[in-house]
Parts: sequence; C-alpha cells; structure tokens
Amino acid sequence: MKQSEATSLAARKRGKWGYIWPMWTSLLLHLLAILLFTTGFLLTRTELPYHSHCSDVSHSPCFSSNNNGSCWTKPATNRLLIIVLDALRFDFVAPSTFFAESKPWMDKLRVLKNAASTRPLSARIFKAIADPPTTSLQRLKGLTTGGLPTFVDVGNSFGAPAIVEDNFINQLVQNGKKVVMMGDDTWTQLFPHHFERSYPYPSFNVKDLHTVDNGCIEHLLPSLYEEDWDVLIAHFLGVDHAGHIFGVDSTPMIEKLEQYNTILERVIEVLENQSGPGSSHENTMLVVMGDHGQTLNGDHGGGSAEEVETAIFAMSFKKPLSSVPSEFDSCSCQLDLDGKNVCISTMQQLDFAVTVSALLGIPFPYGSIGHINPELYALGADSWNSDASQKLSESDIWMQNYANALCINSWQVKRYVDAYSTSSAVGFSHDDLSRIASVYAQVENHWSHSTKKLLLDRQNDSDTLVPALKRQIDAYFKFLTTVSELARSKWTEFDLNMMGTGIGIMLVSLIFQVFTILRANKKHGVMFSSSGDSCIITGSIFTIFLLGIRACSFLSNSYILEEGKVANFLLSTSGIVTLRQSVIQGKLLKESIGFLILSTLCRFAIEVGLSKQAATSAFMKDYTSWIINIASGLPVWDYAAEVIPMVVLILLAAWLYKATSGSLFDWPWKYVILGTILSYMLIIVHWITDSDRFGGTLMSQNIGRTYIPRIIYAIALGQLLLLTFGQLFKNSSLDCKTILVAKTMAILSAWSSTVILLSGKQGPMVAFASIVGGYFIMKFVNVEGGKDEPHRSFSIMQWSLFATCLFFCSGHWCAFDGLRYGAAFIGFEEFVLVRQAILLAIDTFGFSIILPVFGLPLLVATKYQANLGKHFIFTQLSQMYTTYGLITAITTTFTILCVTIQRRHLMVWGLFAPKFVFDVFNLILTDVLICLASIYYFDQGKDDQELKS
Amino acid sequence: MDRRKSNETTKSSTTSTVELPPPISASEALIVNALCALGLAFAFWIANTVYSIELVTHPSLTLFFIWITELPIVTLLYSRYRQNRKQCTYLRAVGRGVLGVPVGALLNFLGAIAVGAPVTFQYLPKTVNWALMMSVFTTIPASCVLGSSWADWRRIFAQTKPKGSIEYLICLPAHGAVIGAWFGAWPMPLDWERPWQEWPISVSYGTVAGYLVALVASLGFVLACGRSQHIKRE
Repeated sequence: MKQSEATSLAARKRGKWGYIWPMWTSLLLHLLAILLFTTGFLLTRTELPYHSHCSDVSHSPCFSSNNNGSCWTKPATNRLLIIVLDALRFDFVAPSTFFAESKPWMDKLRVLKNAASTRPLSARIFKAIADPPTTSLQRLKGLTTGGLPTFVDVGNSFGAPAIVEDNFINQLVQNGKKVVMMGDDTWTQLFPHHFERSYPYPSFNVKDLHTVDNGCIEHLLPSLYEEDWDVLIAHFLGVDHAGHIFGVDSTPMIEKLEQYNTILERVIEVLENQSGPGSSHENTMLVVMGDHGQTLNGDHGGGSAEEVETAIFAMSFKKPLSSVPSEFDSCSCQLDLDGKNVCISTMQQLDFAVTVSALLGIPFPYGSIGHINPELYALGADSWNSDASQKLSESDIWMQNYANALCINSWQVKRYVDAYSTSSAVGFSHDDLSRIASVYAQVENHWSHSTKKLLLDRQNDSDTLVPALKRQIDAYFKFLTTVSELARSKWTEFDLNMMGTGIGIMLVSLIFQVFTILRANKKHGVMFSSSGDSCIITGSIFTIFLLGIRACSFLSNSYILEEGKVANFLLSTSGIVTLRQSVIQGKLLKESIGFLILSTLCRFAIEVGLSKQAATSAFMKDYTSWIINIASGLPVWDYAAEVIPMVVLILLAAWLYKATSGSLFDWPWKYVILGTILSYMLIIVHWITDSDRFGGTLMSQNIGRTYIPRIIYAIALGQLLLLTFGQLFKNSSLDCKTILVAKTMAILSAWSSTVILLSGKQGPMVAFASIVGGYFIMKFVNVEGGKDEPHRSFSIMQWSLFATCLFFCSGHWCAFDGLRYGAAFIGFEEFVLVRQAILLAIDTFGFSIILPVFGLPLLVATKYQANLGKHFIFTQLSQMYTTYGLITAITTTFTILCVTIQRRHLMVWGLFAPKFVFDVFNLILTDVLICLASIYYFDQGKDDQELKS
Repeated sequence: MDRRKSNETTKSSTTSTVELPPPISASEALIVNALCALGLAFAFWIANTVYSIELVTHPSLTLFFIWITELPIVTLLYSRYRQNRKQCTYLRAVGRGVLGVPVGALLNFLGAIAVGAPVTFQYLPKTVNWALMMSVFTTIPASCVLGSSWADWRRIFAQTKPKGSIEYLICLPAHGAVIGAWFGAWPMPLDWERPWQEWPISVSYGTVAGYLVALVASLGFVLACGRSQHIKRE
C-alpha cells in the first residue's frame, strides 16, 4: 500500500502531465508511423504550373518550323474529331480472330475493322495500354496531360478537379484552336473554361444508359457540318454504364455496340463525303478511342489486363503516304472472319497527348513524358510535299520530320524532368538524374554533330541520310523509354522499406499503449481489492474478440465495402450480450432493450446510406432499400422531412435548457449552454429561410444563407474560447466529479451546434440518437463492472462501435465520393482551402470522432457514485482515453496491413486507398482530440484533500 | 461480484417449490439426441428426394420441412422430462411447448432483424421460417421442460448454469444453434457471388452445424454429469 501511495504522490507531483504524456507519446508515434508509411504507399507527384509556349522551341537544338506560321512541329492535320467510347474493351474493336475464342460481344464495331482492313495506310487499330488507376477522371487527365496519374496529385484542389497542369486541350486554346465538347460532363469539370461550345450530360447515374449517348448523337452529326471547331470531342458513356449494370456479356451491351457501329458508320460517311479538296474535312483525322477497359463484370479502376487494355482507332481522310517506313511498325496482322488482313499495333496511352499535339502542330504539354508514336504520326503524313525540291522519297521526308519531332520531344521531356526535380519536394534521386542526363547528352551530341549537319546539307541522298536518321531515332527512343520507365517506377511503384518501417513503428506504438493500460491496471490492482476478476476477464476477452473481428474484417475488400453493416452487426451483438448481463442482474432491462432497438434503427439508417453509395459508386449496384420505396412520392413525407428535424432540434434545446436549470451548472458552463440553445434556434431559422416550402421571403435569402451559419460558427468558437480560458479564472467550490460532468456537457453542447448545422436535416436525429445511445452505454457501465472494478473496456468498445455506426448513419462512407462537399459551403460561397477543409472534416467526423471523444468522461463520471477524489478519477480517465486510442489504433493498423498486403489488388485505388486515407485521418484526428481533451479535462485545481483519506 | 450475485439467484431458485425431473441416464440422452439429429436428417432427406428441393434453391420451403418435422419430435421427446410432474401432465407440457413456438420465433425474428437480416417482403417468408426453426431448436425444449419458470429460464439462458443432465440437453443445443447462426452470417458479405451466401442459407447451415455439434457436446456433459453423481452416491 505504501508503494502505491508513493507512486500516486509522484503522479500528483507531476501534475497533469503525469496523466497526459502517454497520449502525446502515442500521437507522436502514430504521426511518425503514418508519415513514413504514406510516403511509401501513396504515390505522389507534384503538379507543375508551367506551360509550354510556341517560342520555347528556340531553346531546343532542333529545327523549328516557326517560319510556316506553325508552332513546334509542322501540322499534319487541321481538324481532329475525337470520339471517346467509355470503357471500350480492346476486344470490342479487334477482330475476334485475334483471340482464342469468339465471344458474343466481339466483332460488333465492324465499321472500324473494315476501315482498317480496306485502307491500311490511312486507318489503323491500336491496342492502347492505359496506366492504372483506370477510372475515367484519372484517365482523361492522363490522356490530355501525357503524364502518369497517381493517387494524390499534389495541388489538386478538392471538390473541383479542374486540371492545373499543362495539357493538350489547354495548348489548343492557347494557340487559338476552337474545341467543342459533347457527352460526359467530366470533361467540363476538368476543363471548365476551355470549350468553345459544350453539351455536357450528367455522368453519374449509372443506370441511365441513354441520356449521354443520345445527347452526343443529337449534337455530333450536325456539328460535323459546322466550321466553328478545330477539335471536336464526343464522349459516349453507354458501354461503361451497360457494363456496370448488366456486365459485358449481356444484350444491352451488344445493343449499345451495334448502336455505336451505326453512328460511326454515319460519321465516317459524312467525313468521307466532305474530304475532297477544298471541302471542310479535307485534312481531318478521326480518332475513336476508349479511356480504359473493363472486366467482364463491368468493373474498372485497377490494373488487370482487361481494364488496362483499350483501343484507339485512327483514320485520316486524305491521300495516304505511299509507303510507311516499316522499321517503326510494331503491328501484328491477322485475317479476320471475312478473310481480310487486319493489322493492329500497340501503343501506350501515355503517348497519346504528345502524338496528337505533334499532329496538330501545337506545343507539347509541359509535363508530358510520352514519345511520339510513329504509326499514329504516320497516319497524318503527306502534307509536307511543299518542299519537294529534294531528291528524297516521301518516306524519307517523313522520317526526317519524325526525327526532328522526336528531337523536340526529347528536349521537352528533359526540360520537364529537370524542372520537376528542382521544384518538387520528392523529386528523382541523384543517380537517376545523372543517368538521364548522360543518355540525353549522348543523344544530343549525336544530333548536333552529325545528324543536324546531314539534314542541313541538302545534297545528301537517301543512302547516307536514312541510316543516320534511323540511328538517331533509335537513340531518341532509348532516351524517352528510359525516362518513362523511370517515371513509372517512381510514380507507380511502392517503397516497401518505408512502408515496413511505418508498420514497425505502428506496432511499437500499439505495444506502448497496451503497456500503459496494463501499468495503470496494476496500480488499481494494488489500490483495490481484486474481487470479481473472472468478470473482468470475460469482459476483456469479449472486447478483444469483438475488436479482433472488426480489425480482421478490414483484410477483405467485401467487408470494407459493408463496413457499416459489419460495425452494426457487432454493435447489435454487444447489445445482446448486454441484454444477457442485465437479465442476469435483473436491472436495466428497459435500457438494454432500448439499446437493441436503437442499433436496429441505426441499421436501417446505414442501409439508406449504403443505397446512396450505390447510386454513385461503381462497386455497389442493384441495391434497393425499402425505405426509398416508401419515402418517395407522397408529399406528406416531404413535409415531414422538413418539419421533423426542427421539432427534434427544439426538443434538444428544451432538454438542454432543463439541464441548465439544475444547480450543477455554474457560470461559464451555463452561458455556454445558453449559447448553444441560441445556436439551435438560429439553425431552425436558417433552415426555414433556406427551404422553398416555407417561402424565403421573411428575410433576405442572403442573410439566411450566409450570415446565420457564420454567426453560429462564431458562437461556437466563442464558446470554445470561453471554456478554455474560463477555467483559468474559475475557482470552483464544487467537487471534481461534478465539474467533470459540467465540463463535458458544456464542450459537447459547444460542438453540437456546428456539427448539427453541417450535417443538415439529418443532424438533429443523429444527435438525438447519439444522446440516447450514449446514455444507455453510460448506464451499462454500472451493470457490467459492478461498482468498484476498473473494468470498462467493454463499454469503451461499445462506445467506439457506436461512434463508427454513427459515421455510417449520418450518410458517410469511406470513399471520396462519400464526402458531402455541400457541407463545406454552408455559410460560405467562395472556396478557401483551409476553411472549407475544416468544415468538411467537422461534417465528416463530427458525430463519429469529435463528440464521442469529448463525451468519454461521462463514462467515468457516471460510474462512481461516491466521490473518490481527483487523482482516482483522473487516473481512470487517462486510462480510458488510452484504451479508446488503442482501439482506434488497432483498427487503423489492420487497415494499413491490409493495404500493404493488397497493394497489387485491382481495387487498390478504388477501395483500399480511400479507406486507408479515411482511417489514417480518423486515427490522427482521434489522437489529436484526445490530447486536446486531456489538456481540457485535467486541470491543475487543488485536490479535495478531505476526501482523499 | 457477478459470481456472488448469480450464486444468490441459484439459491433462490432451489428454494422455490420446483420438483426437479429425475436425472436422465446417458443412454436415454443418447437416444433423445440421436432422434433429434435423425429428425433433422430425415427432413433434409424428404426435401431432397421426395420434393427434390434444397436449402440453396428453396430456402423457405426447406426450412419449413425442417421445423415441421423437428417440432413433433422435440416436443414429444422433451415433454417426457417436464418439471413438476405432479401438477403438469404430459399433454400440458406438449401444449406449452407448442405455445412456445410463436413466442420463440418472434424473439429470434427480432434478434435477426437487430443484427441485420433483410426486411424486404421477398425475404419475409424465409426469415419467418428460419425463426420458427430457431425456435424449435432453442426455446421449445426449454418451454416443454421448464414451463414458465422465469428463474429457470434466466439461469439456463442468461447465466448458462444448467443443473442436472436434462438441463444440459436444453442449454447446450440452444446455445450451439445461436452461436452457429451468428458465425453463419460471416460469409454473407463476401463477394464470392455464391447462391448460398444469401440470407438465410448460410445462417441456416451455421445453425444446423452448431446445433449438431452442441448435441454431441451435451451428450459428453450428460456422461460427465452422470459419472459425478454416481461417484457422489457411492
């Protein structure tokens, strides 16, 4: 006993830091671990804000064609028609003879195959290899910038994904070309101000197969006769949506492909008819391409061959080059079903941007790292006959041009690599840079000293020139391949050492936390009689069991998708166990049944949330919820949906008002709670002015929409400040437990108004549910542990599970499309990154982290009827916070292990990485809030000596 | 603490005027359990050969066969071991067993909904049949034997403290069925796209497996219990 008194005295001497330091230590350990792991796992690339300009090319050692009025390269085509067919599998386009087996969806786009076989010199099919992640947005970025997309593009503003980097659409606009777009509205999100005309259609209703396509068709054919565009982009979505809903092997998919076939036939016919000399499409190129492939189930996002392989069909409508230099052909030819020869080449999607730029004669996008594809570039050949004074053949002139284009290409790539490594925090390593530099120097040397002279000297005949050009082109290929390989490894490969170190530190932090908890337990074992050990052990074992199931469930993608349901399953199970306990003890039966009912209600709310996810996410489909069936249609429901939240909010305010009338609350806390009631009233006013139903004429819309939320934020901030500094001046006569309860209530109410406002109409209901659930769990603390034992790990587990359920109940899920961006703009119109990010974080984690963490002391306070002194309560509280932190840390550790194991999984970017980001943010926020809460709760007031006998 | 409390309750239940049923011999327990298991097998066989349906293809109908065959077997068998033989005739025990069916089914139904069983109308017959089957496995033996004695119910189902061999035969299979059903729900969210992942097929398999395992285990407990009594008597 003496020893324990000595330790407690020592702890008291150290003051509040004695209680707090374990939390700060684990926060630091977690930060370090996550920083290391993230640098290894989340591949990042800095977006450079630089743009290429026409005049830049004079810095290069190459010939520029400025004199022709063009820019970097000689333009080969004037007009470009790009038809993007979303999720176009390679086997939709290629003849079925290229595959082992003929499937029903093959050979449907016959018009492309026929064109490629009848006119092999001016039309060609390419197998295009995309870089994962194979989602439309990332692919369009990659296609237009010519770079490799990564998971986190630093500098990408959230909510508005407009491309900051240089890209070929931007180059087109810069150089006075007119771009017209129709179809998928992703394009207008990426390029908000670039299009001359645009006909965007919403892309996110997966079940709608026809709106986008019909819109495209409606505008596409008339536009072909118009003269007001240089580049026309038509993006069809039907195949993607048909895949998502019905799969590839289905009638709707085949109907879609047939429909595209007829449209493409008509497009080619129109272009053909107008391709005569002097007509509008004399020098037009048609490109039909997919942005990515899809699996047979219609999924895409990952890196499997089916998703990565898509097709590009290119066709030019002018007299083709008589012969293409065969050295650069990489095609494989085969007879199709009609016995005609079809050739198919392979190219990287990475090369698309630069090749198209070279064809159109505009500067290459600054950050492009692809090379000009010779076969696609050759399709545009022939319009350089102007300087036909030479005695070279057409193909030699083409090769000369191509060598020069590659020279500019290499110079541009080298410029980007240099700029990237100087301006980016995590650039290339020194070795890599010097290797690139030496390869480039070699190539450049060859160019400047031999090839350039040969080219300048017009008297050379092809016998001397052609081999030199070939050697030069090969050297450029070598350089460009080196760079793109390096970039791939840098931007798409994981750093396993970093990840391993991160996991190691994470495990160390877990051991540290467990050790802290055990040490505190031991202290209690001395301080109290160790009665009821078996009960503690069963409780703890059950906690560990539940935690183990929850943590292990993150190792499978299916359980991550259904995380809300899994958490609710466990919550209900824990509720059943509590019911059993309360039956044994014969008390709190009503509460435990109430808790089960509450978790059942949570379950329905989670299902509604999941059905929302199904509407936007590609992974979940065909999920119908009965609530949606009920809730649609009747006007009564609409009305109820408006009124019920307000009624609940008034109830909450009334409850708070009643609470303040007790003697419990002294001046700082009383005013804080009154402030909250005021905020609630303001929220109601805000909703009334915001809604159409009640007529916003009472007040100017502007005041209601922007000023009221701002007032509420200001009140909340003021409350928090009052609470932080109020206690410095307060010398309370109340005992420690009462102060703890009052403080907890005050800070919860201070946060609640902001959280409810941001959560929207569902806010009051979720707040009500969390109050009720929290109340039940508080009651159960007494059932499970008896009176004196330091046993409440089960309650904390329940608390944490309940918090997780609230996250899903309030309509969130662990994906970026699950963020409610609208919440970030409540009260503010314009976008400021930090401010909007804070609001979004409060909305996302308000009910699941902020309120639960600050509410945790209630579990301690209600447990002890007798006042056991400050030291005891604070030790309990600190142990409780450490346990809560440990539970969060363990689940996060398993998520981290899971993404490490599944890093080659095809859903890694679609599912695991977002889950990882959410969990990591969750852990850090929990740790930070625990630290803040500990500073707030453990104050330096004097101990109640008389109670500490 | 907890143990002390439960000791008190058990004491109070023994002081109440309940006449315990005569202890069941090991061979008798074996026969009871074997008949229950055979009934289950018979139900599957009937469904499979006579009506050529399976749990995967026709879940609600198969579950219906299971509980309709098990119900008479279980009620008739367990009513023989009823408490308070003087006040309670065999027929009355059978009657309260049958009355226990809807009550137990309702409890299981609500439990399933709380844990996450789907509630659409297309699942309603499946859930109802599953709950009836659960009721036959869990509450019917208890209601036949114990009647409406709340203290005994609490002792067996909340505290898991069966006394005597017949209570092992009630307690263990019921717990086995519930725990088996709980584990049976685990594969449901996986994306294997197998037909048996549908509610309530995997859960029913889990129930049946848990029930059968617990039948065997209860036999072991009855043997151990009988031996200890034997030793005591000597």
